[in-house]
Amino acid sequence: MIDIALASLIEDMIEKAGADGVVEFWQRVGDNLASRMGKEAYLGWTSFNVAVREGRTAFSIEGEVTPLTDMAVTDVDGDVVGYLYAMRQCCYVPTIFRTRFAVGRMSPADRAVTSEYNENVHNIAVCNFCVFHERFREEIAKNVSVSGNSLACYLLATRGWSGETKISPKNVAQVNINEDHVRALLRNYECVYALVMRGARIKGDR
Amino acid sequence: MAESRIPDSNPFVEIATHLFLEDIAAKVGVSGLNNYLLSLSRNLANSMPKEEYGTWPEFLSALTTGQSILSTFEEVRPVTEHCMSTLRSPFERGWREYAKRVGAFAPVHREVAQYYNHKVRPTAVTSVHVVLHTFREAAAARVRVGDRVVRYEPVATTWVDGEVQLPEDAKLEPLLKRAGISRTKLGMLLRNHSDVWLIESA
Repeated sequence: MIDIALASLIEDMIEKAGADGVVEFWQRVGDNLASRMGKEAYLGWTSFNVAVREGRTAFSIEGEVTPLTDMAVTDVDGDVVGYLYAMRQCCYVPTIFRTRFAVGRMSPADRAVTSEYNENVHNIAVCNFCVFHERFREEIAKNVSVSGNSLACYLLATRGWSGETKISPKNVAQVNINEDHVRALLRNYECVYALVMRGARIKGDR
Repeated sequence: MAESRIPDSNPFVEIATHLFLEDIAAKVGVSGLNNYLLSLSRNLANSMPKEEYGTWPEFLSALTTGQSILSTFEEVRPVTEHCMSTLRSPFERGWREYAKRVGAFAPVHREVAQYYNHKVRPTAVTSVHVVLHTFREAAAARVRVGDRVVRYEPVATTWVDGEVQLPEDAKLEPLLKRAGISRTKLGMLLRNHSDVWLIESA
């Protein structure tokens, strides 16, 4: 119930602080939640990916995350410095359907916050929850270390409940993954991101 | 049942919403958060369609089969004609996930409930009950049975950790009388139900 009520809360917040204020609010909530999740350390990518698959990492709070171990990110020396990860279902899609059946239709506040974020921060959001979600992942990545290196998170692609897709050319270039490969992933996944060792010199780095 | 029609939410959204509320409280204080909770609950109810029923049994049937807005988020079981019980709190999954992944609930959730108990009505254990009671009250006002509006009043609330919130004796007795149950029956219900509430024609 509280997930459906969230849209009403955002409507209220837009009236008081504007859509830009809600974006700031959501980002601060992402920071706060990440700061309460604690630190994690893994010996290497294998142990981290097993932990992701078993739902033991901070990233698992979002739901079922699949490590795409066939899609490694390599550095200039050819060493693996990261992987792609994906969720079959966006965290917010059940809420959208629940709202459809409980209320009738999604509040326009969802679209207002999404547009604000896409126009002024990062053109990757397909719903208002992406605003919180992207920041949350970026922050928890800093608290997770693999082989002694903390991680950085890049949100690469999203697919909304209506089929609308977004790909971040900036982030796709950052991890040197072919955009077509990412687009193909969106057939099966609704949210794709990369976790990479912070400071790694990625092959093809510009 | 409501849950069979509506898919389960991802508890992460509920956790994020709780953090959202905590952030609001940090900005506007407990009374400000209380106002936000009242407002969002009323807005939610007002965004749902109005309902009309010819008779009370028809309304009760809609409640128990999840067809009424009052049973959208919870499985409602009538105890008497006017006394309803909710088996499991609609917030239980979110709370469990919060406790598992984040830790203990932030104190502000109980603080706002205490504020609500003092200012509005004494039946909230935590912030989500402010939402639930206000929503039910606003949703009931959108239902007509015959030519009369429906009125809601909470009787008792039990939280996931077992804490029970009841009105003081002087207020509880008339409520139980209107609900058609005894004090003993209430105790029996609270052993394994999350909420007991009253619904009647205004």
